Amino acid sequence: MSRATATAALPHVRPAGHAVLRGGRASFLVHRRSVVVAVALAVLLACAVVAYLCVGESFVPPMEVVRVLLGRPSPDELVVGTLRLPRLVVGLLAGAAFGVAGALVQTVARNPLASPDVIGVTHGAGAATVAAISFNAVAYDALPYVSVAGGLAAALLVYVFAWRRGLHSSRFVLVGIGVSVALGSLTQLFLTKGDYLVAQQAKVWLTGSLNGRGYEEARPLALVLLLAVPAALWAARAQRGAHFDDDTAAALGVRLDRLRLYLTVLGVVLASVATGAAGPVDFVALLAPQIARRLTRTAQIPLLSSALTGALVVVVADLLARRLFSPIELPVGVLTAVVGAPYLMWLIVRTRSRSGGTTS
Amino acid sequence: MSRPTTSRLAAQDLTLAYEDRTVVEGLDLEIPDGKVTVVVGPNACGKSTLLRALGRLLKPRRGAVLLDGAELARVPGKQIARTIGVLPQSPTPPDGITVADLVARGRQPHQKWWQQWSEADEQAVAEALQRTDTADLADRPVDELSGGQRQRVWIAMALAQDTDLLLLDEPTTYLDIAHQVEVLDLVRRLNHERGRTVVAVLHDLNQAARYADHLVAMKAGRIVAQGRPDEVVTAELVEDVFGLSSVVVTDPVTGGPLVVPARAWQPAPLQEEHIR
Repeated sequence: MSRATATAALPHVRPAGHAVLRGGRASFLVHRRSVVVAVALAVLLACAVVAYLCVGESFVPPMEVVRVLLGRPSPDELVVGTLRLPRLVVGLLAGAAFGVAGALVQTVARNPLASPDVIGVTHGAGAATVAAISFNAVAYDALPYVSVAGGLAAALLVYVFAWRRGLHSSRFVLVGIGVSVALGSLTQLFLTKGDYLVAQQAKVWLTGSLNGRGYEEARPLALVLLLAVPAALWAARAQRGAHFDDDTAAALGVRLDRLRLYLTVLGVVLASVATGAAGPVDFVALLAPQIARRLTRTAQIPLLSSALTGALVVVVADLLARRLFSPIELPVGVLTAVVGAPYLMWLIVRTRSRSGGTTS
Repeated sequence: MSRPTTSRLAAQDLTLAYEDRTVVEGLDLEIPDGKVTVVVGPNACGKSTLLRALGRLLKPRRGAVLLDGAELARVPGKQIARTIGVLPQSPTPPDGITVADLVARGRQPHQKWWQQWSEADEQAVAEALQRTDTADLADRPVDELSGGQRQRVWIAMALAQDTDLLLLDEPTTYLDIAHQVEVLDLVRRLNHERGRTVVAVLHDLNQAARYADHLVAMKAGRIVAQGRPDEVVTAELVEDVFGLSSVVVTDPVTGGPLVVPARAWQPAPLQEEHIR
């Protein structure tokens, strides 16, 4: 073919930092640094998991923990398998879900501030759940659904208020913060109106606590994550289109309005379900994607690394929350907030000093 | 409903509107295959709107854009993107993306989850970089480039898409005269070497006359005249379309028409009265 001869002298071009795997007609691009980062995060996470299961009121040697994890008989099965493991699983899954949710919503908004915990999604899920707990409105099993409904309602609210012939990302964030605060107040109202003892329980849930969480909470979360994995794999590639303006994306055959909607709904559902299971563990969805992106140094936010970072942050934070002031256990949300709040402030200051940089 | 067309891309009874403001009404147009068609007209005459509709960036209010006889609105976006490349007026690059990566995005319509970077992708991108003289910039971030370089990179992305039709919305805006000529020469070369059909919106009438095989003059959402530039560009047309009185002379370089505005602003209006 004429093209082959014309281009024989052309240099090899491939997207920066990627390796190409080809076999037959199939070809895959692998971002080398992302792979290294993901593997490193997975190793760190595995260490954190083992440490989490070792440390507690009684210390369990790592070998015993591994035995329990592998399903071998062990004298520490009760402590590790029954007491610590379920709580860990909820933390892992919630952290991963928060990480992916943050990555998706931040991608769509083209703004690192626009994470589900800043723009009101988790607060919506929180308000709905607290209302349901305080007023004993629904059965305990139905709480995850209430969370999702609350999260979606909050997202819809933000969307309606922020929409003005298109979605401007900084208005989106401002409206989101407003809705967050409003929903926070609403939550306080529910707490004072509800039964005192129940309200106390709801309050602990609100700071994001993994204390007493177990497989009942993990099940809906795992189910959603399982369904979300293929969706997220699709999203990881579709995400690339979301970095363009509407016209350029359309020219490449991507319907950006639809893509944004799908990615947002996916993110909101993930954040809401995670909130339902673990409480609004603040700032994980904000932090994890940004940490992951700085590690992989990619233009787009890496989904897998975001998930791993989210899980790692929650597991380490909960480990510290359990042990730092032992025997008093802090809610994990307090610890993530200690790290996350200054970061959020820094982000706001930085975006303001480079104003215009985040508009889309 | 639609009549058979002789060219691959055509508009039939096209009405285009933003919200409740109608911009183009009942327009018929056939884009000649393998030619460079340039659309000209005064500001807000609907020329960019028309181009957006031809590239399915805007949905018609009424009528249709036909691609190979099929209504554009009914063809899947990805399939259109393999036939029609569009360079919008002010595209935004993803933050921090490099030139090679941006040009590689042009391959997206040809890729699938299991075909992420084929030999064809690699060749098309290398070729697009070479043709637009941007190969040296390949590793540079797009944000750091000058306006002219940036525009060449966007054109490279559209080229990498490897489409038979290429629609360009004012590709020379923000460029100095040398870069304008460079971009238009590139477009013309592509059309000649590859037989690509090009439709461009330009606001410089002389550039349009120089680079077009087929010139379309629009005014207030309608086509006033179309045809070969030397047939279309007359003093009457310029008066009618732009409201400018001018003299049309022969371009000393190309032999085509060259529009010279007749009236220049007079420094002192009072003086002008005196002269009269």
